[in-house]
Parts: sequence; C-alpha cells; structure tokens
Amino acid sequence: MLPRGAQGRQFHLTLLLALAGLAGFAPTVDAHPHVWATVRSEIEFGTNHQITGIRHAWTFDEFYTAMAIEGLDINKDGIYSKEELQPLAKVNVESLKDFDYFTFVHLEGEEDKLLKLKPPVDYSVDYDKSVLTLHFTLPLETPVDTHGKPVQVDVYDPSFFVAFGFATDKPVTMAGADSKGCTAEITLPDPETAADTKALTESFFSQLGPNSNFGSQFAQTATVKCKDSHL
Amino acid sequence: MQGLASIRRGAIGLIGACLLAGLSLLTVAMAAQAELKPISPFAATEVAPGPPSAFAPPTAARFQAPGPLGRLFAWVFDKQQSLQRSLAAGVKDLKTDNPLGGAITLAVLSFVYGVLHAVGPGHGKTIISSYVVANEETVRRGVIISFIAAGLQALSAVVLVGVLLIGLGATGLRVNAWSNQLETISYAMIALVGLYLVSSQLRGAWRRWHSDTPALAAAAHHHGDHHAHHHHQGHDHHGHNHAPGEACDHIVDARKLAGPFSWRKVMAVVFSVGIRPCTGAILVLVFALTQGLFWAGVAATFAMALGTAITVAVLATLALGSRELALKLGGASSVWANMVWTTCAIGGATIILLFGLLMFTASLGPARPF
Repeated sequence: MLPRGAQGRQFHLTLLLALAGLAGFAPTVDAHPHVWATVRSEIEFGTNHQITGIRHAWTFDEFYTAMAIEGLDINKDGIYSKEELQPLAKVNVESLKDFDYFTFVHLEGEEDKLLKLKPPVDYSVDYDKSVLTLHFTLPLETPVDTHGKPVQVDVYDPSFFVAFGFATDKPVTMAGADSKGCTAEITLPDPETAADTKALTESFFSQLGPNSNFGSQFAQTATVKCKDSHL
Repeated sequence: MQGLASIRRGAIGLIGACLLAGLSLLTVAMAAQAELKPISPFAATEVAPGPPSAFAPPTAARFQAPGPLGRLFAWVFDKQQSLQRSLAAGVKDLKTDNPLGGAITLAVLSFVYGVLHAVGPGHGKTIISSYVVANEETVRRGVIISFIAAGLQALSAVVLVGVLLIGLGATGLRVNAWSNQLETISYAMIALVGLYLVSSQLRGAWRRWHSDTPALAAAAHHHGDHHAHHHHQGHDHHGHNHAPGEACDHIVDARKLAGPFSWRKVMAVVFSVGIRPCTGAILVLVFALTQGLFWAGVAATFAMALGTAITVAVLATLALGSRELALKLGGASSVWANMVWTTCAIGGATIILLFGLLMFTASLGPARPF
C-alpha cells in the first residue's frame, strides 16, 4: 500500500513533520552540566625543558562541595581536615581513570595523538570557606620535549556533566627548575568561527549515546611554548 | 474538527500562560534580589579584600563554543550557573535578618531554575512527549502527566535525601550513588514501558492491516477495550483506499492505531520517569541541609518541580500540536490520517524503547568521579 504521486509526496512530508516533532526533544537531553570546576594547572618541568607532568587544582562549585563533604566531618568538630577528606580524594582520582582524567595532552596540530598519562599521584582535597579543591599530579608516561611543537593541554568532560573552565587569574603556571622562558596561553573556542559540522551533527545526534562528545565544543586549551629552548 | 481547534486553543493558552507566569516571576525574582542585596552579608564579603589568609575561590573563564548554536548553549549554561549561584546565596540569605524575603526569593529562583533545568536530561521530556504522541492523549492529559511525573521526582529526591542523610546519617557521596542507582532503574523501566508500547502498537497496526478481512477485523474487536464500541461503524465494508470525503468515521477509526487511553499505562510511564530523583533538587536539598535549613530545600524542591513540570508540559503540548498539524495537512484523506497515526503510534513508542535502552546502557558505565 505505497502512496503514489501527490499523495506520496504529502505522505513523506507528514512523516517528516511527525518525526521532527518527536525528534525535536532528543537533542538537548545530555547537554547539561551538573558540576562546575575551575581549573588551575601547573606544568611540571624536568631537565632540558621537558614536561614531566601536570599538577591540577580543580575548584568545585558550592553545591557539589556540599554534596561531596556531607558526612565526612567524622569527629564533628566542624572542620573538614585533610585527613577526613583524604578518602574523598582517593575516590575522586581513582574514578577519574575511566574518564581519562578529563585531561588531554598533545602536541599542537596533533590532536589525534594523545600523550599517555600515568595514574595520579600526590592527591589531596582541601575545603576552604565554601568550596572544595582537588589537587593531583598526572605524570606523563614519557616526558615531552618542548623544543619542537608547542604542547597543548585540553581540560574538558566530553559528556559535559562537569563543566571545566580555566581560571581567569593564573590559569597555568610553570614549575620546576628548567621551565625558564616557558609560557602558557589559554584559548577558548571561538564563537565567530563556524561550528565544525561533524562536531555539530555529533552533538545533535549522539547526545543520547554513551559516547557523547558534546563537551568538546566547550573545550578550553592551554598551549605551552618555550622560547630560548637551548638555554 | 472541533478537537483540533480545542487542542490548538489549549496549547496557545498554556504556552501563553506559562510565558506570562515565567516573566512575571522573573520580574519578582529580580526585584526581590535587588531588594535583598543590601542586607546580604555575602555580597559584601565577596567584594571586600579579605585578610591575607582568606581564600578567594577562583573564577573560571567564560563558556564559549563555535557557531551560533554553540553560542546559544554557552549562554544557557552560563545563565544556569549564575542561577545556581543565586540559589546558594538564597539559601544562605535565609539565615539573615529577612528569612521571609529569603524564602520567597529562594522559591522563585528555584522555580526559574526548574524551568531551565528541565531542558537538561532526566525530566522525562522525551518520554512524556513521545508517549502522548504515540497514544491517544489530549493536551489536558499531557499536562497532568507532566505534573505528576515532576511531583514524583521531587518526592523521590526529598525521600532519598531525608532518609539517607537525616535518617541514616550517610554521606553525601552515598546519596549520589543511590541517585545513580535509581537512575539506572528508571531507565530500565522506561525501556520496558517502551517495549510494551511498541509491541501493543505493532499488534494494533498488524490487526488493522489485515482488517480488510471481516473475520479478522471482528477478531480484533474482541481484543479492543472500551474504545471498541466506535469500531463497528463501517469498517467491514471498506478497504484502506477510501475516496476522500468518506473519511470521517475512518479518522476516528485510525485514531485507535495510537494506543487508547488507560490509567494503567499512564501510571507506568509516570512512575518510570518519576522514580528518578531530580539531580538539581538533590543538590539544593543537600546544600540546604548543610546550612541547617532542610525545610527550605524541600520548599525549593517543589518550586523547582513546578518549573520542570511546566517545561515538560509545554514540550508535550508542542508534540501533540505537531501531530494535529500533520493530521490537518492531510485534509479529509483517511489514508493520510492512518499514516499519521501509525507513524506517531509506532514512532513514539520506538523512541521510548530506544531512549530507555540507550540511557540504561549508558548509566551502567563507570561511576563518575564527581
């Protein structure tokens, strides 16, 4: 019973309309941060201008903070000590592994070749005033040379459950003896450029899926460059 | 087409009323906020440079994303974040000299937050819209369903936080874990509801397909429910390809392709969506609890539910409107009406099933760190 001619065209139009009506509700489904985190990172240098790792300090919003620390003041003295918060830090960094630590390190222009990271070390959580900050260091599996292309660090949650943003004040600092002449610059996605069609369609259609990449649109990048590299 | 006209009137009225209500509440919120600002001690401490030991939370760079759509998303998230900050400030304001003003601000802010927040996941927009489109639901029922679901989500959040934190003295992380469990259960139930709907819609369509044969059509009638009494008019005498103009009875007839109304089905949908606590509500509840003001969190939660209910109801109404529009485009053609009803019935049910399955598998993934 296939419709033909004018009726057929009409049929397809309806089908389209009906489907559009239904599908219209799907896109916004996953686009929704629940946690906000302000990122401050320290680029750790070893010898000869090599980057050995990244030390993050992520400061969370008040709501997440309240949720995370509730019940952790074990001795009920009203103070959330480092010791009381250490189990939280442990849970946090351990589950970060499944999300690639929300940290994507690569050379400039080589976004598809991510540098491998080792599990976090030196982690802790501190609670000051009303917000929680998670500190941890991500060592690079192999230290990366800064003599060639600049090194870029993207911090974002592909599923956009957590909205990461670099701090406006001192977002990235350099640490280590051999970091002289190295600077970092933050780039935000440019609203003036046309959206990458692929990312857009992806964000439109794949948001329902577990492999959503919606958050990449908002990814902020720190670019580390070193001058006078043979100093 | 009196039904169409009334749906349209209802939809326009509802959307208009919601917009007006939202606008007036926003104005009140802004006025209340402006009024409250001077007495808020936090606004002052934020600006004043504290002693050297004081920790100032760092501010993050603005959200930005490429393209006009990216700009829109960035704007929405930015607003949501500032709203969430105002909510936190609103709860704290309750402890100042003006608890009543604080409570009103908090309720209004929560309501606005709810309206915006419902655009995010887990409030049953997709499910409820698809369900009303796939079934012979009216705008009024769509609105009722949206409100019950939102109310249940609020209740679920209050019970979860109340029992775990106040009753059992558990940690906030435990609440988070439980909330994730309920989410998984909710998606599994949605998938089951979808499966049931798809199979019953397909069965209905199959029966209709074969109803050219009077015997089969008669057999089908026995399976029908309270709607069946419309059915005998003229069905046995006609095939599928009627001339336009004969359509009247058959549009009524085609309507049955979409599942008929039943409270049992509605409750299954509402419960599968509503069992999952609203994440925004949990955050407000826990935050209020840490400030020693659980009751304020409960009030905020229900104000928020009212907001989410309105957003979901508007979307469900729009979905019903697009179905009516599609029906209208066909004029008097009954073939057309059949097509629209079949597409809506099977399409809507399929979306519920796929959505449930997708979200269920996604929710089984590794536990989130935050």
